[in-house]
Amino acid sequence: MSRRERRISRWIDDLIRDRKPRRLRGAQQEKDVLAAAVEMRSASAGAGLPDPRFVESLRQRIARETQGEVARAPRLSRRTLLASGGLAAATAAAGLILGERFASAPAPPGELTPEGGRWVAVADVAEVPAGTAKMFDNGSVRGLVVNNAGTFAALSAVCTHQGCLLRLNADAKRLDCPCHRAAFAWDGSVLFKQMPDALPSLPRLAARVNEHKIEVLAV
Amino acid sequence: MEPSSGTDDPAGSFHVIDGDRPLDWEAVYRENIASIYRLLYYKVGNQPDAEDLTSQVFLDALPRLRSGASRGEIHMYLRATARTVLATHWQRRLGVQVTTIDENIGSPEAPEPPADPLPRIRRILSRLPANYRRVLELRFLERQSVNETAAQMGISAGNARVVQHRALQRAFELGQEMVS
Repeated sequence: MSRRERRISRWIDDLIRDRKPRRLRGAQQEKDVLAAAVEMRSASAGAGLPDPRFVESLRQRIARETQGEVARAPRLSRRTLLASGGLAAATAAAGLILGERFASAPAPPGELTPEGGRWVAVADVAEVPAGTAKMFDNGSVRGLVVNNAGTFAALSAVCTHQGCLLRLNADAKRLDCPCHRAAFAWDGSVLFKQMPDALPSLPRLAARVNEHKIEVLAV
Repeated sequence: MEPSSGTDDPAGSFHVIDGDRPLDWEAVYRENIASIYRLLYYKVGNQPDAEDLTSQVFLDALPRLRSGASRGEIHMYLRATARTVLATHWQRRLGVQVTTIDENIGSPEAPEPPADPLPRIRRILSRLPANYRRVLELRFLERQSVNETAAQMGISAGNARVVQHRALQRAFELGQEMVS
């Protein structure tokens, strides 16, 4: 028996003893053997039934680690959206990337216009029919305007992971990151990501229609 | 580290992060914990990894879910997250995708995997040569050690490992034939 086969055999020993199998490199050729061993394991008594202690401990862990996020209901008013979007525009323009926590920050009193902020036309209304989106780049903000059944919204088109410039995927109605295989929906939420770390949603930008132009609050 | 192609698109185009009401995450957890754990256990074959990956799935997905999603969408989103978590697991541990979760799993085109995998395994075992079947039964069903298995079969421990290796290779091939 070769050394390689012994390593595979030890990996299978771990599996059968219900221990975490050790790392194993260079096992491409034995992939099928390992897959069969994994499948065979599902025939053992009690396989696939979670330990009630695990179920309870994970429930407590979720409550502890994510309660603040899963329990929070960021019901954003127009005013809050406008305010946070305006801040998002200003901050994004300054080269900072915002996390989704920002959107649920307390709303400042009144409708906020960031200092130095101004409405910038980024597209003609006619260029963005309902259900479509258009990228824009005004030199300080790179973003996306979306026509949701006649209502326009805008968001940053800079990936919240490492700042790569997102690409519009019109067919799938999403923004794709060319750097690490992540994608965002047109509402800024994360559709999928490759990286294990949390990936914040895209910051929203305040948008309005003014004389057949879509304008975004930017600096 | 780049996962192999086709394993990085967990959520497809599901749109489950909409909505602005709080999610009853405990209800989502109760409803899905058993099926997600089982799915992952069948894909990694051991309890510690199944627990780790299940934890990752819920910790990753729950904060992003909102109540606007239907139960079916939530379930599919959790499965999609499990698909990515599993792919990352194999990539890190072995550098090769030993098992995968079907991209369209749970969809009408790809029905749910059987709740009880035993009948399929019994069918595979029944088609194996006698010594191959014996070694797998002793090792995987009766969970005997290599030495115990070797003693029962009247062969050396080294030989038992070789027979086990060949038996698993053949079992995999039979399983593939049964799928097709």
